[in-house]
This record gives sequence, C-alpha cells and structure tokens, in this order.
Amino acid sequence: MAELVSLTIDGRTVQVPPGTLVIDAAKKIGVEVPAFCYYEGLSLQAACRMCLVEVEKMPKLMAGCTLPVAEGMVVRTETPTIAKARKSTLEFLLTNHPLDCPVCDKGGECELQDMVFRYGAGESRYTEIKHHVDEKQWSPVVYFDAPRCILCYRCVRICDEGMGVGALGVINRGVVSEIAPNKTDHLECDECGMCIDICPVGALTSGAYRYKTRPWEMQHVGTICTHCSNGCKTTLGVRNNEIMRGDNRDQSGVNGEFLCIKGRYAFDFYHHQERLQSPLVRKNGKLEPVSWKEALEAAAARLKAARDAGSKIGVIGSTRTSNEENFYLQKFARLGLGTNHIDHHRTGDVVTLLDALSGQKDALATTADLYEKPAIVVLGADLALEHPLLSFQIRANFRHHQARVYAVTEKPVREDKYAAAAIRCDAAGELAALETLREKLANEPELVIVFGDTVKGDAVRKLVAFGSSLGKPVKYVALVDYSNSRGAMDMGLVPELLPGYRPSGQTGMSAGEMVASGDLDMLYIVGANPLEGGQPLGGKPFVIVHEMFLTETAQAADIVFPASSAYEKNGTVTSVTGEVQQLKKAVQAMGTKPDLEILGLLVREMGLAAQIGPWTPDKVFQEIRETVPGYNMPLPVIATGGAVQTAPVNGRIEVDARPDLVRSSRDGLFTSGTLGRYSKVLNSVVEGRHHT
Amino acid sequence: MANTITQIIESAAAVAKGMSVTFKEMMSPTVTENYPDEPPKFEERYRGAHVLQRDENGMEKCVACFLCAAACPANCIYIEAAENTDLVRISGGERYAKVYNIDYNRCIFCGYCVEACPTDAITHGHGFELASYNTSTLVYRKEDMLAPIPPGARPPVIASSGTAANGH
Repeated sequence: MAELVSLTIDGRTVQVPPGTLVIDAAKKIGVEVPAFCYYEGLSLQAACRMCLVEVEKMPKLMAGCTLPVAEGMVVRTETPTIAKARKSTLEFLLTNHPLDCPVCDKGGECELQDMVFRYGAGESRYTEIKHHVDEKQWSPVVYFDAPRCILCYRCVRICDEGMGVGALGVINRGVVSEIAPNKTDHLECDECGMCIDICPVGALTSGAYRYKTRPWEMQHVGTICTHCSNGCKTTLGVRNNEIMRGDNRDQSGVNGEFLCIKGRYAFDFYHHQERLQSPLVRKNGKLEPVSWKEALEAAAARLKAARDAGSKIGVIGSTRTSNEENFYLQKFARLGLGTNHIDHHRTGDVVTLLDALSGQKDALATTADLYEKPAIVVLGADLALEHPLLSFQIRANFRHHQARVYAVTEKPVREDKYAAAAIRCDAAGELAALETLREKLANEPELVIVFGDTVKGDAVRKLVAFGSSLGKPVKYVALVDYSNSRGAMDMGLVPELLPGYRPSGQTGMSAGEMVASGDLDMLYIVGANPLEGGQPLGGKPFVIVHEMFLTETAQAADIVFPASSAYEKNGTVTSVTGEVQQLKKAVQAMGTKPDLEILGLLVREMGLAAQIGPWTPDKVFQEIRETVPGYNMPLPVIATGGAVQTAPVNGRIEVDARPDLVRSSRDGLFTSGTLGRYSKVLNSVVEGRHHT
Repeated sequence: MANTITQIIESAAAVAKGMSVTFKEMMSPTVTENYPDEPPKFEERYRGAHVLQRDENGMEKCVACFLCAAACPANCIYIEAAENTDLVRISGGERYAKVYNIDYNRCIFCGYCVEACPTDAITHGHGFELASYNTSTLVYRKEDMLAPIPPGARPPVIASSGTAANGH
C-alpha cells in the first residue's frame, strides 16, 4: 500500500491514498463540493464546472472532480472567487433552462434548484428567447424534457457503465446537443429508471409518477421489494394511503443506488382493480363474497372437523410471505393440524448446498461480496434478467476492481461482454465446462460461485468439491426466485425439515404431489398458485386459499381469504444471499389482512391460540430469533432497516433434499410470478410485451 | 351650601362635555354598516374566502404545484394533480389541480398560500359568510372557489360536468 498523501482542505488536514480526487478527499472530512456531473462510481466527465476549487499556487480555479490530490496541496472550497464562479456557471446552466419548477416533478428535490438557492443566480441577464424543444416520451416510464437538461451525462454513464445496457447517447453539438436513445425515438432497455433516479434535474422524469404529487407531500417508507429474491430496498412514497412512487431515496439497502423496473415501478399491482377485497366462500358452486366472521368460522369448522377425523390435510406455503408468516404457517400445520404435508415451490437447491458446506466457515456470499471479491463465477443463470442486483454488483466490481468474471451459461448473457472467460454449454455440461477453467480459477486469490437451478443435488456436491479442491477461499450463492424463497426454506416449509434445517424425521407430500394426489381431503394454500396454467387438482379436496387476486388456484378454492401484499404488512424476509431485512407497512389495502393475521384469527377460531402462540410480527420474530438456528441476529440492525446474513447451519443436514423438486420459473425482468400479471407498468413496456 | 352649588356646576359641566361628544359624532359621517341590510364595505386587501383565478383565456391559473399546501400553517389545503392532455386542457401549464380543497374549519386566513403561489392562482376574495351549522360543509372544493370564466374568453375545454356546487 502506497503511503498516504496529506493535504489541507479548508484549513483542515486530511490524509488520503494517492490518486484520490479532491472532491472525494473533501467528502472524507465532511466538506461538500457541489457537482452535477460527478457521481461516485461512474467515470469522470468534468462537464458541469460546479466543483471548481481554489488550489494554492495554481493560477486558475480547478475542477475538484478530476484533480488528484498531491502532497502538501492547499485547497479552499468556499471563497468569494469560487462563489462567483459557481454563480456564473449556474447562470450559464440556466440560460436555456425553463423556469417551470412549479410543474416540474423534480421540484423540491432538484440539485440545480438547491444550488441556485445557495448561490443565488435566480435572475438572468440572458434576454434572448430560450431554446425550446418539446418534451418526448421514450417509453411508458421514461419522459425526457430536453430544455431542462444540463448535459451532465450521468444518465448516459449509468446506463452504459452501471446497467451495461448503453441505451442512451448524445446527439448534435453545442447548445442544441441533446440526450437521445440509441434506438432513434424510443428506449429498448431494462426500463430500470436508473437514468431518471440519477438525473440531477427534471430532464428525465418517470411516467408512472408523472405530475402525481410533490416530494414533500409524501411519507417515505423503506421496505423490501417483493418481486424477486435479491432483497433490494425500495422506498415507497406514500400519500393518502396510496403508493405514488418507488425509489431508493436514502440508498441504505443492500442495493445501494440500484433498483430495477420491478422495484421502482411494479408496486402498482397492489391497487389493481381485480384485487380481492372480501373473503369468498363457495355457495352453490359459486364463490360469493361474505364477511370475515362467516369465512373464518366456515374455514375453522372444516379444518377442525378434518383434523379430528384424521383426514389428510395438505399445506402449501408461499415464497413471498414474510418469515413470520412462514414460521407461523408451519407451526399451525404441524402442531395445529397435525400434518406434515407442507411444502412450497422450491427454486434453488439451498439445502444440498448448506449440507455440502458443512464444516466450512464463511462459505456463503453476501450481496457485498459480489462487489468486493476479485473473481466471480456465474453458473447457468442469466443474472441481468433474473437477478438484476447481483448482475449490477458484478458489473460494478469489474468496473471498480477489475474483477475476473467467468460466465458458464447456456445462452449469451450480459456478463460475456467483460468476462475473463465465457463458455456456452447446455445445463448438463456446466460442471465439465467449469473444470476447463480449473487452472485459471486456481490462480484467483478468492472466488464467489453463483449458480442457478440447473445445479442441484449431486451437482451441488460436485461443485462444492470442485471449489474446495482449488485450495482458495470460495463462497457460494444458490440462486432462488422469489422475495422470500430462501426464508420459506429456512422456516421449514418442507416436509423433511423443521425451521433452521433440523430434520423433521417425518415424510410428507411435496406441493406437486398434493396437487396431483387423489386422496387429499383438504388443501390449505397460502399465497401460492400451484394450479398456474390450468393444471387440474388430482382429487376433490376442500381448498382454502389466501390470495391477493383470483388466480387459477383461488378460482378452484372453496374459501378464499383476501391477503395483504408485502407492502401492506410488517415482518422480515430473507434474500437470495440469506440476508434478513425488514418489511415495513406502507399502505392498507381495503378489506385485506396480512397472512399472519388471517392465520392468527383462524387459530383463535379453532381454539388453538394457547398452543400455537401470539400472531403479531414482532412476537413471532422474537420466537424465530430464539428458536431457529441462524436467526439470532441483532435486533437493532434489523429494526433500523439494515441487513444481517443468517448464520449458516454448519452441520450435516441428514435428509433427502429432494433436488428433483427444485425448479426455477425463470422469471425475467418483466415478469414476476403471478404478481407480474397485475402490474400495469410491467405489462406496458415494450420489452415486457416481447416476453409474453 | 357652597359645596352643593359646586356639585351642581360640576355635574352640568360633565353633562355638557358628554353631550358635546354626542353632538359632534351626530354631525360626522357614519362608520356603522347596515349589514345585513346593506352589503359590507371591504378594504382592498381584506383576506376573505379564497378565489381561484383564471387567466384571460378562461384557463385555470393553478398548476397544482402544491406550494400553497406546503406554506399553509393550518394544513388545510388538499390537492390532487393531473396532467393536461390535448383532449382535456384545464390550466395553462402541463399540470392542473384535479382536486383542490380548502378546509375552512382549519383555515386561519393568514394569506401564506397567496404569498406562496407562483402563478397568482389563489387569492383572497372578500367572501366572509362562511358560518355553518354543519362543519362538513366547510370543506370547499375547487368548483366553489373558481372565478367565473371572463366574458368573451373561450377556454379550449371546460372541466367535465358533475362538478357543480356541492350543497352548502
């Protein structure tokens, strides 16, 4: 490590590594140098001239965002000369910038507005007619108002460098230069909205949030996106019990600045007109809306009778309900209903991985590891589409740390572009293909292996054996699909395992077997759609369903409870990397209840309350922390919106992990299980339509 | 005895002094207003019930920027914004107030909203007869506060029907 360089900024001495930029050195001691074009983590532009600083012995003001520190440098960031220069810069920026702050969606959180407020260039000496260009709509979610643009190129860079899409560029020269999509007049990209988020002014605005409200009118609720397993924190702007927008306002989640289209826009399923708002009970062959009391009594009576008669009851849990709900559901099934037929849709072979890693320490990667470790292997997954955050992390890792990325996949993937090696092979040949990389991988100091559902059962064991044979620290990520797929496994929503991967010692039917079975008497389904695509039930069980919408499964049910979405409840979820984070209730959808409350009310109705225990999220989470191995995590970190990785089992899991049941549904960027169907935005973008 | 005479003189002087005020005021112009028999007179800057102004084309001036709501210390202004389209054009800007309510239960007539308005859309009128037996009628809607369309103006599209008075 080279020696630190010491310099003086605004009279304070700071020591930083050589090569650090003055703007970053100033940030280190809490001095803010204003800048529009500079954005941490992106390439340098030096386009806006806002970050001008005074450096002793340099005749002119210097751009702090491109000036590396030097030993003994004396920098001043706030002097009358600088204020004058910045004011003039702002005046230039404002020559063609319309003064339409009152109708601009950025008004109130606009960096240009803040700067003009600070340096006072509110009055213009420019009397000529402003150059005007009409606003354009590039996609259902992206609007571009060229006159507001200050040409900082942040959008161009985030799209190219951050997302690896490169959908934006610049056309024309001089005063008429404009940001433009590379596909002539519209965008064909990830529709992630990163360009909108990163825009310091109101040039790029969101079609979903357009003219709806103003930033200070909303409450900002930081919760976890419910669409995929990456566990991105999305901050929902709520006004009058309505979600106005999603963004990553404080960048405090595992995702930092990143959100994809689903995290940013696809919250809109929650007020879809087909959302269930009252319980339904089948009467004369038709589902009729009834009161909660009637539905709960009917369900409790049937369940009690079935249990007392020793009938066969099946329970299918959800991959998007909270850990608390999953824990309570398995407790209800095992203790309350006395059945071990409990399962969920398994999308990754986590059990075999944990078993194979028995005895190894620090072998499970976190989201941060994908950014920090020097080498990443992607095995059999198109991360950019299926796990956008992980893909973003790897791209940033390559950009900042020159990480070596090895992609072994069936189809071309986005990682190919910068991969040290990209190998095409079919699912069966992945491990063999990995073997050809052995020499290269053995030379890496550290390694993270990310694998999809094609690697399961024995293949996982072989993969771990391969990793161990390299003699280097190797970490793994077993990819799973949904927001709490990992949590469902951790909480024991499988016949063979109790919460915390303790063997149950009993057998039970899998979800598929329950659906196909001819002799099941009752089927209790929470937030899952096993009948997707019109698959019929094998027998004629009495079906009780918790759902948000009348899915294929709900249509076949005898009792349907309207359930709350993840944005309407409190609890915790566990991401693909095993990081536990808190859900926070943002809104209340009329007529719905969280699954935990529905289960709790049912338990009470059945007279099992004393046996199964309380059903508030914090009480159940307390119980999880006390009883489930790996979940005894510091509560303050979780409660303040942080993420904690669950401790690995670190012991053999002596059960048949049923790798044959592992099947990823391969949701892309624009689909999200059954929820995706009800999101207007996901269905409106052109890329989404291509997929259906 | 002398004491009694002094008393009489002093009383007479006091009466004369008092009556002089009475007679003087009888001669000067009256300030009492005959409200409700006659309409009251207002100073120009009197802060009464709000009026939402229109421009010379009859378009609403309000662009739903929410600054009045932000400035309001009583938090009595509620706005829902919507976008002007080619078919429905309500205001001069890109955006208009689809809903604009003022809750006169809460309004303290401080005038901050008028100060904050960047388009001079909201002004204080001289309306003051706001008393009601039912507080629920004190939430005024946009239609209750909008200025009439100026004569001769032809706004491109007028807000759809069904927004008439809501029965105060």
